[in-house]
Amino acid sequence: MLNEQSKPMPNANVFIKGTIDGASTDSLGNFSFTTNKQGEMTLCVRMLGYAEFNTKITDKNSTALVLNMKPDNITLDNVVVSAGNFRVKGNSQFGKMSAVDIVTTAGSTGDLYHSLRTLPGAQMVGESGKLFIRGGDSNESQTYIDEMHVLSPYTATGDNMPVRGRYSPFMFEGINFSTGASSSEYAQGLSSVLALNTKDVSPITKIGVNASSVGFSGGGTRAFEKGSVSLNLDYQNLKPYYSIVPNKYDWVKPYQLFSGSGQIRFNPNQTTVFKTFVGYDKTSFIQHIASSTNQPTRNLAFNDDNFYLNSTFQKTTESGYKIFAGGAFSLKNQHVDDALIATDSYRNKEWEIHLKTKVSKRFTDFLRLNVGLENFFRHNDIVYSYASTVHTDSINHSISALFASAIFNINSNLYAELSDRLEYTSINNMWRSNPRLSLTYNMNGVHFSGVVGQYTQLPENKYLLTKNDLRTENCMQYVGGIYYETKNKVYRAETYYKKYNDLVLQQSTSLTSEGYGYSKGLDLFFNDRALFKGFEYMLAYSFNLSKRKYQDYTELSTPQYATIHNATVSIKYNIPALKSILGVTNRFASGRPYHDPSKSGIMNSTTGFYNSVDLSLTYLVSQKVIIYTSATNLLGRQNTYNYNFINDTTNPDRYMKTPVTDPSKHFFYIGIFITLSGKTAYDVSNF
Amino acid sequence: MKSIKSFLTGLLLMFSIVLSAQDFAPVVQNVNKAQVVSDYIQVRSQLERFLLAQPQLSLATYYLAYVDIQLSLVTPDVDKKTKYLAEAETYLNKLSELKDIDKSEFFTLKGLRLYSLMALDPQTNGPKYSGEIVSAYATALAINPNNPRAIILSALFKNDMTKYLHQTYDGFPKDIEKASALFAAQDSLLLTPTWGRSWVDYALSKK
Repeated sequence: MLNEQSKPMPNANVFIKGTIDGASTDSLGNFSFTTNKQGEMTLCVRMLGYAEFNTKITDKNSTALVLNMKPDNITLDNVVVSAGNFRVKGNSQFGKMSAVDIVTTAGSTGDLYHSLRTLPGAQMVGESGKLFIRGGDSNESQTYIDEMHVLSPYTATGDNMPVRGRYSPFMFEGINFSTGASSSEYAQGLSSVLALNTKDVSPITKIGVNASSVGFSGGGTRAFEKGSVSLNLDYQNLKPYYSIVPNKYDWVKPYQLFSGSGQIRFNPNQTTVFKTFVGYDKTSFIQHIASSTNQPTRNLAFNDDNFYLNSTFQKTTESGYKIFAGGAFSLKNQHVDDALIATDSYRNKEWEIHLKTKVSKRFTDFLRLNVGLENFFRHNDIVYSYASTVHTDSINHSISALFASAIFNINSNLYAELSDRLEYTSINNMWRSNPRLSLTYNMNGVHFSGVVGQYTQLPENKYLLTKNDLRTENCMQYVGGIYYETKNKVYRAETYYKKYNDLVLQQSTSLTSEGYGYSKGLDLFFNDRALFKGFEYMLAYSFNLSKRKYQDYTELSTPQYATIHNATVSIKYNIPALKSILGVTNRFASGRPYHDPSKSGIMNSTTGFYNSVDLSLTYLVSQKVIIYTSATNLLGRQNTYNYNFINDTTNPDRYMKTPVTDPSKHFFYIGIFITLSGKTAYDVSNF
Repeated sequence: MKSIKSFLTGLLLMFSIVLSAQDFAPVVQNVNKAQVVSDYIQVRSQLERFLLAQPQLSLATYYLAYVDIQLSLVTPDVDKKTKYLAEAETYLNKLSELKDIDKSEFFTLKGLRLYSLMALDPQTNGPKYSGEIVSAYATALAINPNNPRAIILSALFKNDMTKYLHQTYDGFPKDIEKASALFAAQDSLLLTPTWGRSWVDYALSKK
């Protein structure tokens, strides 16, 4: 018995089909057995990881057989390494991270997006909190839950206050972070896609509560034989926290958030999953803004309602077709009084319906096909009023797409994926084709991967509201990488080049699609969990050179959010003697460009570098009680992200410069998580 | 004793044996005797042949799941460990689709598979699966409080957990004693799950 490289295969199961007559091959791949069966019969060979091999034999010619086996489809389908894709949690060991890993990463403060910012490719834009990937703007990163688009994945905050993810990392079973070259089934992401998968099954009935320095929450799951129902409620109020740890803002009513979410999972059998997720949150605060040169004092009153509903169906048929269908509805309703000046009012209502269906099947060892259709229906209206002046704008439009990919398993070490995404956008009446090709080669466990492909995205609504016929923005991506993984170590190196075209460009008062730019760089990642017991460290470094002529830039310049060097060192130490996990993260980013109007050109100056040393400590009080604490920026460095300039009233040729910094130098968090149900342990998740 | 006998007889019926005990009994004995990788691979091949010849033989599916879990524990190759555990999950999924299986034995095996998954990477998988492991054993014991495999595996897991928290699981010696008595009373001639005695020895060594 030989394998695909004609080497002996030990331990294969060789037998006559329909009988129990057979034997296992020895270390040299040899086998022999006797059977009472006569005439023609089928000799079958089975081996884990290999396709079943069948051959006809007779009782007359059943000696001196030489048989060859090939890797099976499942093994072929399990190839998960491809350039640009960072499977944070899933089957692959490449950078896998669980929800517990996320919350125990110092500096993450329990937030998924903060945690992802420690990975290579992500840039440090502290005043935003959103994902800025490989020189791309934050709107170029999209989030999907169970393959359905999420219109606003971040919480709402005021200017220069970092946002957080709306959803708890504990909700998700799979976290796949594509820092480039994402799959053709994900739309409207020029730079990156975060694909989150909720658990298909939640088999444990549980209930838990937690109280923290920012609020309290509680919820639970009721498991049934064929499904489960989960519910979670969360209330946050920063007033007590601000009274102990003041920040630079003056709050009339500090930040307050109420959120509720629920999920129903139904598994009528092993091959069918229905899931429905619903989430609602309401954010409000009133911020006192002192008078400035030409502005009287005002109280900015912010209210945001966000609703998300997502329902999906997945089934694998007996003939091997994997069928998916889903629908999602996102609604964001913002109302801000005293938004720009006292007594004005701003309302922004935005919704999206996303419908998607797809089917995939492996037809042969060589070919797997994946085909799908999707539609986005979008609406946005804004109303801005001041005194008797009311300005309104509204758009309704849709995006329709057909996507298909063919995966070719050329041999057990080489595979190629050819895909296209044909997209029609109604607002500008444009058709765009997005062809992509990826190749992955496995040489003794070292994976080499390369992708070339086109990505498109509509301009942001704030521009489309003003001008409907702006062209669809596009980005051509070239990504190449090397990946190697052992049991406890992960090595990744990736290089990329992105060429942007048709970006929105504002020239005096007119908007055009003549913007363009590029971004290129190198990402390095190393994770070691074997230096000594219980100790894990991660090193990530990103080098990026990015320039654009877009928005109101008058020349090709490095965007304000981009940094050339980003580095993270993160360590975790599990100390069983103290029942604790200690985490320390040090993040560094080189200075960011900013525009100083007193100098010539644009983006003509650079801020100081960014550095933050963060600490977290997770203490397991008992099987059902966990205390989690974290503190950011222990060294107390004043990190400056940008500068705002306003004219000096005493001298019109001079400007007054104020730095954009964090609301406070440090953020402290302490929370106690209690599991109330009887059967669980170490489980703070209510989902 | 009578209740144990009637329980084991019930198990036999529930596993809907269609092959004669004469054919299958030696395979079960081989399973119980297996200690090293090559033993388990040999018996895995035998079980696979039985299952392919008699697809309705749920006991073969059950034992294949068990052997795959054992292989994941004894084989040194990490990649193979993961594959065996994936195969075990497939067989457990098949079992869950069948009616009239012994749910207590099913949940015990499910707990053991998760425990093996945890053993692959305790730091990551410990917090991830410990709740499900406790839940699986508790469910197995709620269905049948006299399942010796569920008793001993649950006791071992609870003991390890409390040790990690610098506490003591007071019920550990009592659970070992109870499981030991139940194992001794097992009728090994019946075609029912009989594995697990070695876990008692292992538990005694940790007492």
